[in-house]
Amino acid sequence: MNLKKYFVRALHRLQKGPGYTYKELLVWYCDNTNTHGPKRIIKEGPKKKFIWFFLTLLFASLVFWQWGILINTYLSYNVTSSLSIGFKTMKFPAVTVCNANPFKYSKVKHLLKELDRLIEAALERILQPTPGNGSENASTPLDLDLWYQIPLVLIDEHDKDNPIILDIFEMNQTTVGNETAVGNETAVGNETACSHQGSDNCTYRNFTSAVQAVTEWYILQSTSILSKVPLQERMRMGYQAEDMILACLYGAEPCNYKNFTQIYHPDHGNCYIFNWGMDEEALNSSNPGAEFGLKLILDISQQDYIPYLSSAAGARLMLHQQKSFPFLKDQGIYAMAGTETSIGVLVDELERMGYPYSDCTMNGSDVPVKNLYSQYNTSYSIQACLRSCFQNHMVEICGCGHYMFPLPEGVNYCSNEDYPGWAHCYSSLRSSIRHRQICIESCKETCNDTQYKMTISMADWPSEASEDWIFHILSYERDMSTNVTLDRNGIIKLNIYFQEYNYRTISESAATTIVWLLSSLGGQFGFWMGGSVLCLIEFGEIIIDSLWITVLNAIGWCKGLKQRRARVRYPDAPPTVSELVEAHTNLGFQHEDAGARAEALPPEPGTPPPNYDSLRVQPLDVLGPDSDAD
Amino acid sequence: PAAGKARIAARLKRSLPVRGPQAPTLSELMRWYCLNTNTHGCRRIVVSRGRLRRLLWILLTLSAVGLILWQCAELLLNYYSASVSVTVRFQNLPFPAVTICNINPYKYSSMKDYLSELDKETKKALETFYGFSEGKSKVRRSADEWNSTESDFFQQIPLLKFEDFSRTVTDLRSGQKRKIEGSVFHKDSSIVNSGDSNDIIGFQLCDANNSSECALYTFSSGVNAIQEWYKLHYMNIMAQIPLETKERLSYSADDLLLTCFFDGLSCDKRHFTRFHHPLHGNCYTFNSGKNGTILSTSTGGSEYGLQVVLYIDEADYNPFLVTSTGAKIMVHDQNEYPFIEDIGTEIETAAATSIGMHFTRSHKLSKPYSDCTETGADIPVENLYNKSYSLQICLHSCFQKAMVDSCGCAQYAQPLPAGAEYCNYKKNPNWMYCYYKLHEKFVKEQLGCQQICKDACSFKEWALTTSIAQWPSAVSEDWMLRVLSWDKGQKINKKLNKTDLANLMVFYKDLNERFISENPTNTLVILLSNFGGQLGLWMSCSVVCVIEIVEVFFIDSLSIVMRRQWQRTKKWWNNRKKDQSGKLPQAGDPERQGHDNPVCVDEDLPTFNTALRLPQASPLPRTPPPNYSTLRLETAFTEQLPDTLELGQR
Repeated sequence: MNLKKYFVRALHRLQKGPGYTYKELLVWYCDNTNTHGPKRIIKEGPKKKFIWFFLTLLFASLVFWQWGILINTYLSYNVTSSLSIGFKTMKFPAVTVCNANPFKYSKVKHLLKELDRLIEAALERILQPTPGNGSENASTPLDLDLWYQIPLVLIDEHDKDNPIILDIFEMNQTTVGNETAVGNETAVGNETACSHQGSDNCTYRNFTSAVQAVTEWYILQSTSILSKVPLQERMRMGYQAEDMILACLYGAEPCNYKNFTQIYHPDHGNCYIFNWGMDEEALNSSNPGAEFGLKLILDISQQDYIPYLSSAAGARLMLHQQKSFPFLKDQGIYAMAGTETSIGVLVDELERMGYPYSDCTMNGSDVPVKNLYSQYNTSYSIQACLRSCFQNHMVEICGCGHYMFPLPEGVNYCSNEDYPGWAHCYSSLRSSIRHRQICIESCKETCNDTQYKMTISMADWPSEASEDWIFHILSYERDMSTNVTLDRNGIIKLNIYFQEYNYRTISESAATTIVWLLSSLGGQFGFWMGGSVLCLIEFGEIIIDSLWITVLNAIGWCKGLKQRRARVRYPDAPPTVSELVEAHTNLGFQHEDAGARAEALPPEPGTPPPNYDSLRVQPLDVLGPDSDAD
Repeated sequence: PAAGKARIAARLKRSLPVRGPQAPTLSELMRWYCLNTNTHGCRRIVVSRGRLRRLLWILLTLSAVGLILWQCAELLLNYYSASVSVTVRFQNLPFPAVTICNINPYKYSSMKDYLSELDKETKKALETFYGFSEGKSKVRRSADEWNSTESDFFQQIPLLKFEDFSRTVTDLRSGQKRKIEGSVFHKDSSIVNSGDSNDIIGFQLCDANNSSECALYTFSSGVNAIQEWYKLHYMNIMAQIPLETKERLSYSADDLLLTCFFDGLSCDKRHFTRFHHPLHGNCYTFNSGKNGTILSTSTGGSEYGLQVVLYIDEADYNPFLVTSTGAKIMVHDQNEYPFIEDIGTEIETAAATSIGMHFTRSHKLSKPYSDCTETGADIPVENLYNKSYSLQICLHSCFQKAMVDSCGCAQYAQPLPAGAEYCNYKKNPNWMYCYYKLHEKFVKEQLGCQQICKDACSFKEWALTTSIAQWPSAVSEDWMLRVLSWDKGQKINKKLNKTDLANLMVFYKDLNERFISENPTNTLVILLSNFGGQLGLWMSCSVVCVIEIVEVFFIDSLSIVMRRQWQRTKKWWNNRKKDQSGKLPQAGDPERQGHDNPVCVDEDLPTFNTALRLPQASPLPRTPPPNYSTLRLETAFTEQLPDTLELGQR
């Protein structure tokens, strides 16, 4: 119905031509619009009109310029941060404790026996450079196979251009031309695995200190040996919970080694995690102070350390979030034997908004690196991503996985027997800046970053006066014997508790929201021109109207052309209504003063009023009293 | 002539730039304004019926104006506020410079020539006051055959023992008792109220020019007194030694550094830059950026940081100057001067100290947001340190400048300003008294340094988490010490002791860089938006309204007032002329010149409305309608609501 009505009306209008002109439309718009400037243009005298015209244009352009700035600001997705600090009941952090030494020496001795003898002999040679008077004759022959894969060499660089390489056992001097000069003194290097095709492909890693050379060499060799041992066996060789955790107290509640979750960490062997939150609910702590924290007594039994593997003695511990993997090398701290270490904890949280505000990931699902640590059921973290990335590269390039990181499926750990060139491959990969950069670029940090800020203080423990009875009781409890099996070198007391202010949260919020944008846009428009969205709609309407006028004008012009042609043929044809209307709106008339035109041309009796709804504004003296009187 | 005058007036009127609402009177103008303005509220005042309502609307409009003014003032006042944003970026981080010093500044054995006399004096004091004699002490001294040529300055500042505040003191040298004069400074006793004041020990500093001006420093503990006293003399002696000699007397890089390992690679002394610190002797800065490259880390964790084993030769320590053993380290930016005596971290021997770093960068907005300085160029204190500006540098430089100005020589612990030299007794016998006075003033903020110096706007901070483990472990101790001795081999011929060694690991805990920055909350755009919001909210106003207000309330009102004045004077003039000539006045009354006056009719083009109304365009019989479309309301009111028109109808 409606459609038909509109159609008829449109047809009608098409027939009769436009009711008015652009100028009238513009004047009408200026008079009736709600934006403030245009009204003044038509209301003022000719000079002021000019000023107002320019002012209006200026304001309009200002509005558009400022809108551009505002929209740009919005699209840059800035954030503001707010900081809150205080105390609240919070989840107690997960506490991972490890021994700095991964395995009990007494249990791995059979595996490392050959290696140890080798290194002892090598040290002997290094320390007494004059050959011949060593005691190696007396000992059983050394397993030199192990040696030749990665031999330790002495590099004499007094002559910088052709340093002398001195194999410790062979004592044959070779000069290598392409050696990078380290200094003009003797350096110890280890020749990392010439890839076996030929000795041209050797690289020497130089160390200025024999200690470092020996340590690195030993780590490489022992890694290779231990990687062949199955995981169960390795866990058995490490420290057991009941041996290590002697006493545990959480607040007022007693706890024991059974409250700890065991996890195998390649660097540190068996690690034990308190309050990991994997199976049970995480513990809350609602009071600050050492009284309400976790108190642990650990034994690291320093006598059972592997002498060449780890030189620092102590417990390694780390506070981390529930369900996250402890990366002790990065975030861990040491606790010294024979001391009581108190750790006051402040939870430093950073909550970010994610894309598009900041480039971070909520749960790591959008990171292109396969997270190998997900086999521990732990959450994504940047460290996990970097290590997975490294391991993936290692598998890709060297064909085997490094012992320190979890294995992807279907891949074995590297060892000297199965992958003879792995050490060379590994050390080149490790020092490759490019691969590191790839990993850094592909990994993203998590949006919610929690750090535990620790205030660490230490005191001697146990005191000399209490030493005797404490050792006695602890030894008795652990070993059920009256012999004291503990000493100062192995025992560690830990207090971990919340500080008086236990959280500091930095949370992000968007600096510019859509509401902000709209109100700023509105503010700008209002400030310069007093306009609103409705004004924009009005403007749009005027544009549609003028288009409509254009259409009608064009039709009218075509019609006029046709009629003029017709009139040429029949000069006496009577004028039609539309013709008269056209005459009324003829541009030729418009040049003159409108008032004069209006007087000169009384309206045609048949002219219908214009049909636009918006134009049907009544003169004010008809409508005004009704709307304003009350 | 009258017609000519009128023509001229008409032409003037036409060519006058302001052709707006030339209402005849102010109230007409206001009325016109209220009816025509775009702001809301004003119109209500005019069109409301009844006095109460009108009053109400006047109040409302006024309060809206007041609110706008208040809110806009608030907006302006809060314009310079900043919001903080924290961004975290995961990236390669530049490794900071790590400065390492031995706590003991100079090898005691090589300092013997310079310090023998002072040590002798100190020992004597110990023996006199406390009955302590060296006997078979661990540290032997061969300073028995000292010559007493220079001993006169010890006499100037001797250690004194006080007896119960009776102003009687025992002199260390003569053992005689004497009375002392001068004002007494209790260096410690203002804090610690010691019950028995029998054993107070201290020293006296006198103005050399005017010996009645003396300051007395007392200490509740002899340990502090002797150390302070020793330091005073020590600085005096050291000030006379040239820098090259001092560098030679201190530890060399080979002495201090046993092994070095960075980012999985070996490093050696060439990665360290020597830096002579007046109180700590030779310090070595790793990654100082001197050779143009700054190392960066692309992996966190202890393996990839800096690992150093330091040789701390405890046997060669100065027994009076330093009483603790170990090394001092500081993590700082390459451009930053390491104030290691102020903010260094001490590390222990026979232990592995692992220091995890977390990097935070901060940037504050400078003026007018906050009172900080970007480069320090706007601070009137000359930067004596060859490093970028920091608050510490400014304070120290400021003090040094004051010292040079008032004492004539420079203090030993800070760099030399141009043209000055370090204080010593021979040249400036008065300096110590001067220094202590000045230091007192500085601490009490009377020098003005604290007021002049501002903090820097941007700074880098490495938050350190320090933990200690035993090192070397019991089982590895043996081979480790042997190999380390071999490493050191060429230089010393003794087996190292583990208490001479310190292991230090400095590494990034994670590669997240936190960047805390202040951003301006407001820009001009936002301020204008807020203005617009306020104006729009309370009155639906815009800049156009403001222009209108200026136009109406200033230009138009002024012109009306002026016109009336002008007409009054004209009238008066005419009256005078009439009185003189007896003619009737010619000028029309002012009422006829308002907007009702046909002369004043605006030459507006007809609007579409007027065009529409063309058929009945003939003027109403009563009065010609005013030409402002809104004013046409008035005629409606005259018909229907005569009671509201006491203002409009005159």
